[in-house]
Amino acid sequence: MNPDVAQAVPELVESGILPPATAPLLLRVARGELVSVHGELRALLYAGVLLLTGGAGLLVEQNLDRIGPVAIAVALGLAALAALAWVVRVAPPFSWGEVPSPNLAFDYVLLLGVLLAAADLAYVEVKFTPLGAQWPWHLLIVALLTGVAAFRFDSRVVFSLALSTFAAWRGVAVGRLGTVLWAYTGAVRWNAIGCGVLFAALGLVLVRTCRKAGFEPVAVHLGWLLVLGGLASGITESGATGIDWAGALLLVGAGLAAGAFWFRRFPLFAFGVLAAYIGLSRLMVKVLDLEALGCLWFCVTSILVILGLLWAQRRMKEPA
Amino acid sequence: MTPDLEQADRHAAVRNAACAWRRAGVIDDAALAAVAARFPDDRVRVGPVFRMLLFIFTLVAVSAGFGLVGIFVDAREHAVPFLAVVCGGVLAALTEVLIGPRRRRQGGIEAATSFMAAGCLLGAAAWWLVLDLHTDSTAGLAVFCLVSAALLAAAAWRWGYPLYAGAAAAALLAALAQLPFGRLLWIVLPLAAAPVLLRLAVSPRLPPAHRASCTAVLAVALTGLYLAVHVRSWEAGTIEEIGRGQAARGTGHDILWWLAAAATALVPLAFLAIGIARRRYPLLLLGVATVVASLVTLRFYVHVAALWVILTLSGAFVVALVFALRRYLESGPAGERHGFTAAPLFQDLARSRLLEAGAAVLTLTPAARPLREEPKFEGGGGEFGGGGASGQF
Repeated sequence: MNPDVAQAVPELVESGILPPATAPLLLRVARGELVSVHGELRALLYAGVLLLTGGAGLLVEQNLDRIGPVAIAVALGLAALAALAWVVRVAPPFSWGEVPSPNLAFDYVLLLGVLLAAADLAYVEVKFTPLGAQWPWHLLIVALLTGVAAFRFDSRVVFSLALSTFAAWRGVAVGRLGTVLWAYTGAVRWNAIGCGVLFAALGLVLVRTCRKAGFEPVAVHLGWLLVLGGLASGITESGATGIDWAGALLLVGAGLAAGAFWFRRFPLFAFGVLAAYIGLSRLMVKVLDLEALGCLWFCVTSILVILGLLWAQRRMKEPA
Repeated sequence: MTPDLEQADRHAAVRNAACAWRRAGVIDDAALAAVAARFPDDRVRVGPVFRMLLFIFTLVAVSAGFGLVGIFVDAREHAVPFLAVVCGGVLAALTEVLIGPRRRRQGGIEAATSFMAAGCLLGAAAWWLVLDLHTDSTAGLAVFCLVSAALLAAAAWRWGYPLYAGAAAAALLAALAQLPFGRLLWIVLPLAAAPVLLRLAVSPRLPPAHRASCTAVLAVALTGLYLAVHVRSWEAGTIEEIGRGQAARGTGHDILWWLAAAATALVPLAFLAIGIARRRYPLLLLGVATVVASLVTLRFYVHVAALWVILTLSGAFVVALVFALRRYLESGPAGERHGFTAAPLFQDLARSRLLEAGAAVLTLTPAARPLREEPKFEGGGGEFGGGGASGQF
């Protein structure tokens, strides 16, 4: 409900800016006489999927002895099959372009089917060990199958899950990026950077080839988060190693900010600016270890960054 | 709020609506430009990403500046609150300049200076009223809560930030909790204020920012009401604990306990019913949230079934409910019933889809494999993949 818009609509119709035919709908929405619950229903579906997968996880964990592994595997498989069968039945034909969802629940039933199928695969792997010593490969299999489902049914939610499952195969916990970032060491750090580069490149390929270009923001944002997260995890290292990682973070962050400025990619610009500032500050704090100089550094440089941002904003013209 | 700021906010509301109409294809670019010309913007605004960056860097600059001043004047412990008051005053004046003569709105910097101004002044008040008054900390806390409520309400009224209005309402509730009949006041005042706030939240006489502030106050007040009548809160003496720092637990299953139990069940339904009847989002959201809270409370008292049964059944129920609601709404005339529709209307679907993808990554990503454990494989470990549930069997 928005009284200002309700007041403006008749004026706009009178002045010929709005076609009279559109006025009744716009007025009803502005007066709160017609309310969309589209987003709320999708949020509820998301909650329902979370509850169902959580319940399935507990069912498996708590009733393994009573029900038996075969029954659990079959039950999970049937549930996944039922969800995916519905998706296949209502899905529109495949296209490399954007395909609108046939209905509000489509994405989330697909997500439920994929999650249950993935849980079933993992369960089968853990109980019956068909892959033996190569058990981590089940994550790659799940990532690839999820990716195929995402492309076939044009689902960004499922595509993001495919990417994060791929990263999990490489030992990178994307879902807990904020909390485990500083624990990334050695191989995991390099894997995070590698996954990030791969995802960003995938996004570029998708756009260049005009194939599912709508997935590009998911791949590119996740990719750069992983690259910068991996680099940032290194700055806590002591001695010259930490300095090297800080320098790398500064260079990559500055490069990303410059590229994002050029291509008007606002979130990537923010990632770049923040990363470059953290990298530079890490380098400088190492040099200026006096508390007054530290405060002076952050005060002066923040003001300089603010001035720079105001300049960049005028050039980039991000819509308010 | 100054009249020109109020006018700027009203114009911004119309321009935002026009952008949504353009996204939905209801109007073309020419019409959008005509709307922008008819409702011009005289403010300096920046987009959400720059706003966030400017907010962060202003916070860093002000905090570092505060530290620097503290070091230079060699601030002793007792000088800190005085320094905070001076900084708060300077920042409040700076906010006035930025919002007034400099005509900044949704610009990040003025939001950060207002936030730091409120923070500094509240910090100083907390120092003097809570930390320095060791003799009667309850009275000091009550006065501090009242001062906070007044300060935040003034900030919300003057600068038009709903967040401060919500925080002011919370501070007022905390102050009321210090009084002898705190719980009763938590029930009576929201009940008395809710009808007024509901009307004010859509009143054309108020500027958009103040309407949003009324909505924020309403949400906090009704949350307080639910907390006050909640059976578990009654048992644990939560409100009394907020007030006097010690719980006054309810005794046994007396008449008040049964009243609280009934209210725990009925208040969420009342929120939902009013939300549906008046088609008001805040009440609908609050209704859904409190229904979930009450169901969790029910599970605390009544062991209906195993947790996996509850989760699976409630998940299936929610999914089925969404299907039924969608079908019900879409089967109505023009795809709507009782003023509700499942169609997206003028929502920004691209942004919603990106947010959903982010939420899926955060909540449904499988546990990462531990790299170092690979050589030690014995066939009995591992994590669920893709299922979002990482369990060990």
